[in-house]
Amino acid sequence: MRRSLALLSVVALAFPLAACSSGESGSGAADSELSAVIAQAQGLSSQELYKKAIEESKGKTMYGIGNSSRGSTAAESFIAELQKIDPSYDGKIEWSQPKNNSIFQALSADINSAKHTYSMTLIQDGNQIQSKMLATGNLLNFIPKDWGGDQAKDGNPLTLQTIGKVFMVNNLGSKKYTNVWDFVAEGEKPMFMGVNSEPVGKNFLYMLTSPKYADELKAAFDKLPADQQAYFQKTVDEVAPDVETLGLEGDNAKYGLAWAKLWAAQYNEKTDDGPICNDLVTKSAAGSTALIVYSKLRSIEESDSASVKNVDIAAYQDDYTGFGGYGYKHYLMLTKTSPLPWTAMAFINYMSTTQDGFAAWGKDIGGYGAYSAINQDHSNDGGDEFPAKNDKGPSWWLDDSAGRLVIEDPVYTSKVSTTMGDWIDMIVGQKS
Amino acid sequence: METTSTFTLAMRRAGAYFKKPWNVVLLVVGVALTITTVSAMSAIVLDTVTVHPGQSDDPTGAGANCALFSTSTSCYTLLNWKNLFAPAMGKLLEVNFLTPLLNSVLLAAFACLVALVYGGIFAYLVTRTDMPCRKWLSAIFIFPYVMPQWTLAVVWRNLFNSAEVTGGSDGLLASVFGLRMPLWWCQGLFPSSLVLGLHYSAFAYIFIGAIFRNMDANLEEAATILNTPRWKTFLRITLPMIKPAIYSTTLLVFSSAMGSYPVPHYLKLSTLTTQYVSMNVAKAGQASILAVTMMLFGIALMVGNQLTTSGRKSYTTVSGKSGQISKIQLGSVGRWVIAGVFLVLTLFTSIYPIIAFAFETFLPNPGDYSFLRTGDPDDLTTKWWTTSDTNDSSLFGQPGILFNPTIWGGVRGQLIVAVGAALIAGTIGLLIGYCVAKNRRSKWANFVNNMAFLPYLMPALAVGVAFFIFGSSLGLFNTFALLIITGTIKYIPFASRAALNSMLQLSNEIEESAMIQGIPWWKRMVRIIIPIQKTSIISGYMLPFMTCLRELTLFMLLCSQTKIITLELDYFDEMGLYAYSSAINLILIVIILVCNTAVNKLTGASIDKGLGG
Repeated sequence: MRRSLALLSVVALAFPLAACSSGESGSGAADSELSAVIAQAQGLSSQELYKKAIEESKGKTMYGIGNSSRGSTAAESFIAELQKIDPSYDGKIEWSQPKNNSIFQALSADINSAKHTYSMTLIQDGNQIQSKMLATGNLLNFIPKDWGGDQAKDGNPLTLQTIGKVFMVNNLGSKKYTNVWDFVAEGEKPMFMGVNSEPVGKNFLYMLTSPKYADELKAAFDKLPADQQAYFQKTVDEVAPDVETLGLEGDNAKYGLAWAKLWAAQYNEKTDDGPICNDLVTKSAAGSTALIVYSKLRSIEESDSASVKNVDIAAYQDDYTGFGGYGYKHYLMLTKTSPLPWTAMAFINYMSTTQDGFAAWGKDIGGYGAYSAINQDHSNDGGDEFPAKNDKGPSWWLDDSAGRLVIEDPVYTSKVSTTMGDWIDMIVGQKS
Repeated sequence: METTSTFTLAMRRAGAYFKKPWNVVLLVVGVALTITTVSAMSAIVLDTVTVHPGQSDDPTGAGANCALFSTSTSCYTLLNWKNLFAPAMGKLLEVNFLTPLLNSVLLAAFACLVALVYGGIFAYLVTRTDMPCRKWLSAIFIFPYVMPQWTLAVVWRNLFNSAEVTGGSDGLLASVFGLRMPLWWCQGLFPSSLVLGLHYSAFAYIFIGAIFRNMDANLEEAATILNTPRWKTFLRITLPMIKPAIYSTTLLVFSSAMGSYPVPHYLKLSTLTTQYVSMNVAKAGQASILAVTMMLFGIALMVGNQLTTSGRKSYTTVSGKSGQISKIQLGSVGRWVIAGVFLVLTLFTSIYPIIAFAFETFLPNPGDYSFLRTGDPDDLTTKWWTTSDTNDSSLFGQPGILFNPTIWGGVRGQLIVAVGAALIAGTIGLLIGYCVAKNRRSKWANFVNNMAFLPYLMPALAVGVAFFIFGSSLGLFNTFALLIITGTIKYIPFASRAALNSMLQLSNEIEESAMIQGIPWWKRMVRIIIPIQKTSIISGYMLPFMTCLRELTLFMLLCSQTKIITLELDYFDEMGLYAYSSAINLILIVIILVCNTAVNKLTGASIDKGLGG
């Protein structure tokens, strides 16, 4: 009996090992083949790419995976675009959105398996993309010839859009929030998604310790009244030794770290930005604050207890000091095992270079295409009645002297994430 | 010569062994179950020492060259164990492991207590007293079990949240009546235990109720004749009789509560499951250690189960043959008061959620109860149901429920998984039950029986993790095949236990007379065994079906969130789109109730009987 059990255990262990060994072979050759295809595609116009896609995927289904469910809307529009060129085109795109953060596991599992499904991805979280996907070569970059964005900033990996999460204040309270430090003042409990359920929130805190944003925080700190400076100084001094332990650089890193610590210790964790927005617009949430995706305001219906009028965008105040929120990016990439690379690249091209392709996101406030030609104007969406919905647009939000969104940098976040991730987890864990 | 004769003897023995169909079935099913269960469990253990590219266990970046289950030693490390149990920042051990572990154990223990007390008292009142409205109360008592477990958590949150305590906006009671409860009431261990306890009290009701319903009342009557006080009779006679049911309930509720993710997630309690999901992003290896910890609890529970079942002979005061069940008189006023109390409780746990779900689908904004204050119909809307395009921004880019292909696709997906898993689990469970009953003294049969039961005692998330790693390695991620396999393995115990209990009631003579006439095994099964015990057997199919239909934790790592409806339900809940999640809840409840009623009318089988099996 024991012997048979031991034998079964060995079989059981060996089974997955044997099943997976196939995933290790052959990917190198396929990889370089795909790189050559990408290089060729980067020299083609949109129309040429679409023709290649039609040729490749007629009668087939391309599988895409992404953090945004709107990928499926863009896919429908893309298919219609291809059908304008060839009315008999009958290819399909199946779009899936994995739960929570399992997109990286889903992609890794697919790439490592013997049979590959996904051709491309629309993915967020620069830190994980850098460390899990770019460092491993699992995802490959493609820059369309017709794309007119800033290659240095948004080219590698290719950015579809920057999404703004901005500080909002329920204006039925009496307190004013005119400095970014006001959101972490004593007793404040700003609503925010959990940093481990949406890791781009953690990236935001990492970015605050980078020299650029730490300097901005120091500048905002200097503009605080003396009593508030004295209050925050205690935290700044407390975290100063951590700067070295965490391997951070820059004279003002301790200010970034202090703000991050106060935020992590005080924020009121919610499951998503949607419920936060629904809460924030109500009368009963008087004086509450939040850092959420700007576009969530679009879905509020006016009623006796809820109104967009109850909300102010902090950075729109004339006397506001400091950053107005943060921006994370949606990147478009190919899997290195892409079964239909031409179709994947044509789809990426369609979303990133045309207004129709970007319309699924571009129709709303708060999402800014990296190629400015695909953006729509939302500067008067709310008119005089709902000023919070009048989006000042990418040129304002991404300007270092205006909206000052903190923009995620995949390289920096992946560099500090190992040590700072634990540091943040410890603070968040201790409050629960 | 001698070798040849030994070989011939062995072959003859093997031939005789395999002539009995139940031996063949046991061997095949046993090997298959062992491979799937042990492989999946081994995969988690292996993951704790595997380097994960780009994560904290890959400081040198060597993981970039490692494939899954690589044979290179540089792809393995003990860093995950070190980082979890001896972290550089001392408090991380407490945050990442000790606090979640303690909370998980407390949550599971309190949930057991609530389930046993609430379900046990209810079982006693329904089966042993003259409480009025028993039939109706009994029917709606199991509703919380029928519903996805986190729906009560969402109801709790929507009811008791208040801006002053939980932040954000007021919940229903604070908003309409100004009633504000303390934080411990709104979030954390108390509401999580209560919600899970209420959800699983159906187990206690059905297990304990089954014994109360069939027990011989002679002993209690003897005690009454001897003037023994009623409380003493209960403690000394009644309670020992239901000990096996208490053990069974405790085992099932403890493991289920420990593996629950959504309830502690929504009610903000850090447990092993919530911590697993949180750590899995950047510390997958350490997260797998948490899964191994949950797995160890599952194994400990199985050992506990073995010990309690082997000791059940000492409680055989339950004959199951006496018709003398005396009903306790609660008094003409008392019986109505008690019925009233349970009426209110079950209305809150069973009926209120359904009304709240329906109401939620007509609110202008999620959680916006303006209508209750103003009475103005303009503060209600049908947009969540009837909007047919995706350009209505107030629906977050979604079409209405009736026109939402994602929702109906998810319902279809869930039905595929539930039907597939129920058919396979029900059939395998039936075969296991039959074959184990035929080989009661065989160690192999016992082993197969235990192997089939083990996944049920494993926390659902641990099983999900195991099959995620196992399935990913086989390229099965995001396939119905993986979901069906996982659902099958997890829920075979429902069918095998129901089948085993019913097969043990069958005398061998029934089959033997057919065997003498040379009727083949499959015919005996189809024509004799199954028809006789069809009620229990169909219940063995119904339970996996119903459980798969509302399962989230088990499947949440295995597919994209639009593949099955429970993942979409959770997605909508997390996004705060309560109109959609409430509508999905209603759809699920209707499907389950319609199926259960139809099967009950056609065959006499029902969920209650299966659970009690």
